[in-house]
Amino acid sequence: MSSAAAPGPILRENLWTNNPIFMQVLGICSALAVTNLLVNTVIMTIAVVAVMGMTNLTVAIMKSLIPRKVRMMVQTLIIASYVIVVDIILRAYVPDISRELGPYVGLIITNCIIMGRAEAFAQSNRPLISMWDGMTSGMGYMGVLLSIALIRELLGFGSLFGYQVMPAAFEPWIIMVMPPSAFFVLGIIIWIGKAIMEREGAPA
Amino acid sequence: MDKQSFAYTVIFTAVVTFAFVLLLAMANELTIEQIEFNQEVRLQRSVLQAMGVEFQDDEQAAELFERVEQIEVNGLGLYSYERDGEQLYAKEYAGSGVWGTIRGHLGITPDGTRTLGLTVLEHEETPGLGGRIDEGWFQEQFRNKRLVDGRLEMTSRDGTGDFDEDSGEIDGITGATGTSDAMARIINDHLQQLTQALGGAA
Amino acid sequence: MNPPDITLVPLLFASIFTSNILLANFLGMCSFISISKDMQSSNGLGMAVTLVLFLTSGLNWIVYHMVLVPLGLVYLRYIIFIIVIASMVQITEMVIDRVSPKLYITLGIFLPLITVNCAILGVSLFMEIREYSFTQSLVYGLGSGLGWWLAIMLLSAIRKKVEKGPVPAALKGPGITVITIGFMAMAFIGFGGMLPVQ
Repeated sequence: MSSAAAPGPILRENLWTNNPIFMQVLGICSALAVTNLLVNTVIMTIAVVAVMGMTNLTVAIMKSLIPRKVRMMVQTLIIASYVIVVDIILRAYVPDISRELGPYVGLIITNCIIMGRAEAFAQSNRPLISMWDGMTSGMGYMGVLLSIALIRELLGFGSLFGYQVMPAAFEPWIIMVMPPSAFFVLGIIIWIGKAIMEREGAPA
Repeated sequence: MDKQSFAYTVIFTAVVTFAFVLLLAMANELTIEQIEFNQEVRLQRSVLQAMGVEFQDDEQAAELFERVEQIEVNGLGLYSYERDGEQLYAKEYAGSGVWGTIRGHLGITPDGTRTLGLTVLEHEETPGLGGRIDEGWFQEQFRNKRLVDGRLEMTSRDGTGDFDEDSGEIDGITGATGTSDAMARIINDHLQQLTQALGGAA
Repeated sequence: MNPPDITLVPLLFASIFTSNILLANFLGMCSFISISKDMQSSNGLGMAVTLVLFLTSGLNWIVYHMVLVPLGLVYLRYIIFIIVIASMVQITEMVIDRVSPKLYITLGIFLPLITVNCAILGVSLFMEIREYSFTQSLVYGLGSGLGWWLAIMLLSAIRKKVEKGPVPAALKGPGITVITIGFMAMAFIGFGGMLPVQ
């Protein structure tokens, strides 16, 4: 991984060339399950962006104070705390969506990307740039999940963000609402993404 | 102080833990009222929807709910509402689905011959399968449905809904036999309680 | 609140097959994809996940109902659950090391991975939301673990064959693996007809 610590390259790297989902299929556990509706996916991925940004910021500020032995534990504590804050906010202000997301908000804690970025970037960089790194990684993740949700909601319900867009004669594809389709759509998106990258000549 | 020493590690961990727990306790304290308020609004909307009372927004729902009374008919706790001289009843129901408890409200006419509507407040059924009980088309089938022998029959036809008010039948969810059966059991259990209590009152 | 009236045998089978924690709820994907390259490691990890899931679902049930609910600290449950899981993994590691050094060699390297396996936290959260009783939680934990183990074994077996096939270059690696998992998920839904659940 190149350690270019400037905002521009970081953005490009996290959104595209080093996108965590394309390259390693990391961290999809907490979010694939909610990709059958766009609204849920938007809220869920905004939560991930916020938690990642704040976690990286906090870890970067505290890095010189954290004893090596408890580093993982402290990072987990930081992540879990921000996730709880997000969970409480969702419960209070968008109760319907919070209910639909159910346990998946809590599962952001075990999203490997978050701890991965805290370890790989925030531990050795300054606070603001770390926060930027966290947020852009979150956005790269958001981009992929939103594309999945777009396809699944459009074909599964014939709607986008809950608004009917397909003609009435359109027969919804039930499979798109069900779990297996998330895997198919993700696999195809990875395929397309990698094919484009290879054409650009980026190392895959 | 040596950052790798045992004492520093313990103190550091304790301080960090304390700070974050404090932060969370504050966040929790600040939103607890809002969360309780949300639950209250949800309950009010559910009761009104089950009775087929229409409202525009949460505010109007709260206003209408002030006229809802909690009554007891032959030992059975019910919500009651008067619309244009006509009484409407609703009862909270709960029962086991495939994965967890299904909870909601069931509306019924005072003579116990028709259901007025059904809502699902909580369920843990599989999303996309049994979870579809919280979709509009499923619940809309219970609107003004005539009971046949005090029951509703769950059928498994094409899974698009049975909107004939006199059929006495509800179209179950395709591919979710367990949830459909559980729903039929729960609803008919509560209908039996209701028709007994209401029949005794008439 | 009363636990739902769900009998244990269907719950066990449903959590292994029809509602497989991995294929239906997408939990535990990270280690699933990276480890399934190798069959022997898959077996080891599957065994470790099953053991830890079984233990933590019971332990988290006790902590939740005996400590968090009485003290009104339910909002801290995510942190507490993850701490319980991390400590459980540590203890399991130590016990296995003492009792069976041979098993430790197989399982040892996988145990630390398990702390951040979403399936473990997921099962604890599901059992809390679904208001399961203690025994239901244990059965659900065990079933989910066995289901995960079965899924990873099957996938690693399929991957062995797939890797020799003519897969388009850009689809190699994660792409084709994810699509394979999709087919497995579809096959597992087919078990639905066998069981009187769902």
